[in-house]
Amino acid sequence: MAEVRAEMVANVWKVLVAEGDSVEDGDTLVILESMKMEIPVLAEDDGVVAQLKVAEGDVIQEGDLIAVIE
Amino acid sequence: MTVLDNRVVTEPSDKEAADPRDPQVRLAALLDEGSIRLITPEDRSGVLAAMGRVEGVPVVVFCSDARVQGGAMGSEGCEHIVHAYDVAVRERVPVIGVWHSGGARLAEGVESLHAVGRVFAAMTRASGVVPQLSVVVGPAAGGAAYGPALTDIVILADEGRIFVTGPDVVRSVTGEQIDMAALGGPEPHSKRSGVVHVVAKTETDAYVQARRLAVLLGHQGRIRTEVDEVDFSDLLPESARRAYDVKPLVKGLLDEPGVELHPKWAPNIVTTLGRLGGRTVGVIANNPMRLGGCLDAASAEKAARFVRMCDAFGVPLVVLVDVPGYLPGVGQEHDGVVRRGAKLLHAFAEASVPRVTLVTRKAYGGAYIAMNSRSLGATKVFAWPTTQIAVMGAVAAVRILKRRELAAAPEEERAALETKLAEEHEILAGGLDRAIELGVVDEVIKPEETRGAIARVLAQATPARGAHGNIPL
Repeated sequence: MAEVRAEMVANVWKVLVAEGDSVEDGDTLVILESMKMEIPVLAEDDGVVAQLKVAEGDVIQEGDLIAVIE
Repeated sequence: MTVLDNRVVTEPSDKEAADPRDPQVRLAALLDEGSIRLITPEDRSGVLAAMGRVEGVPVVVFCSDARVQGGAMGSEGCEHIVHAYDVAVRERVPVIGVWHSGGARLAEGVESLHAVGRVFAAMTRASGVVPQLSVVVGPAAGGAAYGPALTDIVILADEGRIFVTGPDVVRSVTGEQIDMAALGGPEPHSKRSGVVHVVAKTETDAYVQARRLAVLLGHQGRIRTEVDEVDFSDLLPESARRAYDVKPLVKGLLDEPGVELHPKWAPNIVTTLGRLGGRTVGVIANNPMRLGGCLDAASAEKAARFVRMCDAFGVPLVVLVDVPGYLPGVGQEHDGVVRRGAKLLHAFAEASVPRVTLVTRKAYGGAYIAMNSRSLGATKVFAWPTTQIAVMGAVAAVRILKRRELAAAPEEERAALETKLAEEHEILAGGLDRAIELGVVDEVIKPEETRGAIARVLAQATPARGAHGNIPL
């Protein structure tokens, strides 16, 4: 099980996966917007998206849980 | 001097069941076949040292003897390591340590601690004088953890473990339950601690990586300016806001793929040793794919250490800049982004080696300065044609500078006013044209003439080398 957490304060711009999706190491899960840049958040392990904790438009803080990959 | 990865490591055939922990076996796997010449006796000291060659380049090597008290370091074994360092410094050749050791010999008490401290002192004396590589192939605890940590580059094999105190002590002191791999194996050290520069798939692969790095640092070569060009025009996404992976640019800039150090730790900056025009160079690149390419505390520290290592060994630097700024946030400030970010400013400003900067897309704010700007002493600053250089993006700037004017405007007109003010601000602040006028950018080059332009600058620059050690920042 791997938790994917936000590395910076950002807006959630796009959510590209849903709970139950299979993902591979390096796949983009969500795209954040911060520093006027689109910042992809990548899976760091192969697995299934067990939990997805953010929705488009959310503002997330550094350290917030974005997803859990199992 | 190629085809390193296809090198066949011959197993000793005469000894049917050779102990894989035998330092002779390990050093034979590391060195060119038949090149090993022992410089310390085969004894029960727990360390064996030798001279030898990698791809023909002379090196000094030493290896823990894990068959004797788990490779623990006693006074005699430590003297062997110090002797190896004396030889390496005298001959001005790289030194490679192979580690599999539980640390200082308990039975020798304070005498072994004194001896381990003498090893640390020898390593520090050699720091910045000769390249030092460590290959950790088994557990390396306590003194055997800090030995590698003092060297320039640490390579960890799949069975390698590095920690100050093992799982048992951790459990008894803090109550935390953890195994050796989770505490000090490839996973934590590649992603979280920054202790390890290169993680290898196997022990044999670890030796292959050590050989590549020893040759890159020990035989740097002369630069050729006739290099094949690679067209990087398609690399940048159409939208200036979009992320992309910088690694294809790093790879394309080098003659062949280099060795990336710390690939998974602080991945928002890429640090790679490789060759351009046949000469060893160090490439530093912001990676917009991670954290938007922002500098933060960890990435500044990672890059600073790389800059200082390259400077100490006379390896010219190529700095690829696409940076929106230093990462804002409470976590960063409390993490010491000011103190740790300052290391990168210091490292570049201090560096004597030729160092070329190429701004590929944007350079904003304090991070613009930190990424080997003209003001810090860049040998040459290039920019691709669409580059933006500013204190911050135009819209962000007018939101601060024209705050009152914007607030006074009717709400429905505010967006249009903001756009208009931003355009005016860009003309005033000047962007790339102004940067050229000021002399902070020397020349605009096309993506398809990048390799040659950089190679020519490095070929013409006066070779130099920083007179300092390489403290493990």
